[in-house]
Amino acid sequence: MGLGIEILEILAPIMESLAPHMPGEVFPEFFTLEMFQRSMLAALMVAIVGGFLGSFLLVRNLALIGDGLAHVSFGGVAIGIVLGATSPLWYALMFSLAASILIYEMQAREILTGDASIAIFLTGMLALGLVVLRYYGVGITVEVESYLWGSLLLTSSEDLDLIAAISVMSFVLLYLIKDPLLATTVDPLAASVQGIPVRLIGLVFSAITAAVVVSMVQVVGTLLVTALLVTPAATAQQVGRSFRSCLMFTQVFGISSVILGLYFSAELDTGSGSMIALVSAVIFTVVVYLANADWLARSFASFRLRITGISIPWFERVARRK
Amino acid sequence: MLGKPILDVCDLSVVRSGKQILEDVCLTVNEGEFVGIVGPNGSGKSTFLLSVLGILKAESGFVEIYGLPPTSRKLHRKIGWVSQAAANLPKDVRITVRELVRLGTINSANMFDWADNGRRERVDKAIKMTGLKEVENTDIGRLSGGQRQRAVIARALASEADFILLDEPLVGVDRDSRNSLLRLLDRLCHDEGKTILMVSHDLTAIRQTAHRMVFLEGSVRFDGPTKSFPDFQRLADLRGIQAVHGDKEVYWETTSNHKEEL
Repeated sequence: MGLGIEILEILAPIMESLAPHMPGEVFPEFFTLEMFQRSMLAALMVAIVGGFLGSFLLVRNLALIGDGLAHVSFGGVAIGIVLGATSPLWYALMFSLAASILIYEMQAREILTGDASIAIFLTGMLALGLVVLRYYGVGITVEVESYLWGSLLLTSSEDLDLIAAISVMSFVLLYLIKDPLLATTVDPLAASVQGIPVRLIGLVFSAITAAVVVSMVQVVGTLLVTALLVTPAATAQQVGRSFRSCLMFTQVFGISSVILGLYFSAELDTGSGSMIALVSAVIFTVVVYLANADWLARSFASFRLRITGISIPWFERVARRK
Repeated sequence: MLGKPILDVCDLSVVRSGKQILEDVCLTVNEGEFVGIVGPNGSGKSTFLLSVLGILKAESGFVEIYGLPPTSRKLHRKIGWVSQAAANLPKDVRITVRELVRLGTINSANMFDWADNGRRERVDKAIKMTGLKEVENTDIGRLSGGQRQRAVIARALASEADFILLDEPLVGVDRDSRNSLLRLLDRLCHDEGKTILMVSHDLTAIRQTAHRMVFLEGSVRFDGPTKSFPDFQRLADLRGIQAVHGDKEVYWETTSNHKEEL
């Protein structure tokens, strides 16, 4: 019995006690049926670690690496399937780790800066996956598709164990290196003068990223990884005023994306991965709108005054700010 | 009274991408000194700093800080590095002054420690020293260039380094902040006993604050007390620059941004 199942056994009674308070017709089953409990737990764990990781990715200007590594994972999955592996995610993990470290090295050595190295790995490995699948006559089967779009509801006990192991390990590691990691991100030169092993920290971070992305492929699928990796962190940046508060807000947005996404996908009977991704994008839009409400209120106040002559104190106050 | 030598550079030569940037540079910085290095763009000032920090490999010559090679682990808490803040801090990171300064307290020995170990006091002290108390919880993206530079200096101070290296600290800093920044550096040297090595192409700023000036252009062309820093004519001779307009209206070519200051 793995880590995932053990966590589930601890949390199951709590989830069951919450079930009667949950809205909707299908949604409460996520709290009672073991199969759905598994998927919910997997999604939450991935969202928590993904958000934590994403906050750093965003600052390091690596927002697209999640997408890149997810496509690399797809190439790995394809090779795993062709070789007849029972859980192709291990192949994905191998390829993702290798690609992540190579991308880091290419950027660190300034062979290719910025997104270019990510783009090359993304397309190269996706293409390799597609070619291999066709060549060996597998084609795009249901199994292959499940890695593209995610198959959260089909999370098996083994999947949950893998996801839990990766999530817990990555979270602990990330928490351990968060200070030196932030230092190397903000000013690598100053960090190395202070004696922080910049290269080692960068490599560990790359490895964590690779592992977390693979665990996400199961939940939201290759194409939607960014939704849980970067979107909550980017949303948090709109409201947070310090790095710590951004980390907190990221968790709030990530966890709400998962719960609301599962709720809507259950009630509307749509794919869960895509609904989670959609919800996180909607949350981003709403927050951007609210965070920049000042100028909206200002233009609205002037519009009201001009057209109706009615003055609303709150709008006036907001309008006069700045 | 000057103390023992802290930085000792001897016959340093550095080649970067096939080009000789520094040739036989010799320099000693003593404890408690404020040394300013000036020189035009591309004269090897930054290369010099990077070699001193052990980040660039030297072709020949040696560098010793506190009698140790620059890559020694024992030096990590002794050197503070202040980079060009305006240019180097990432723009899209939400991080407060306090959080930034706290990063200065991390080093190879304590980076995985959970305990505070007096880091808080060090951060408080550094923030107070640099006069950033009011903005300590403000996002650095909202600070002025001068305040941001102070925050980066505070970060170096939080490491409790005694030897502080500054690379062009006045870039992107307006006139008023510039003066108070220079006063801060002066205070750090005289009241806190820090040894300061500052690199700048702002000749006036170095003249205002440094005890000793070094003119670097490939090699050391001048090294001496600020008072005896050469006038235009001698400086041009040292640099091997010919007068462009004969002996009428003489115009010395210097860095493009700071023509008026040389």
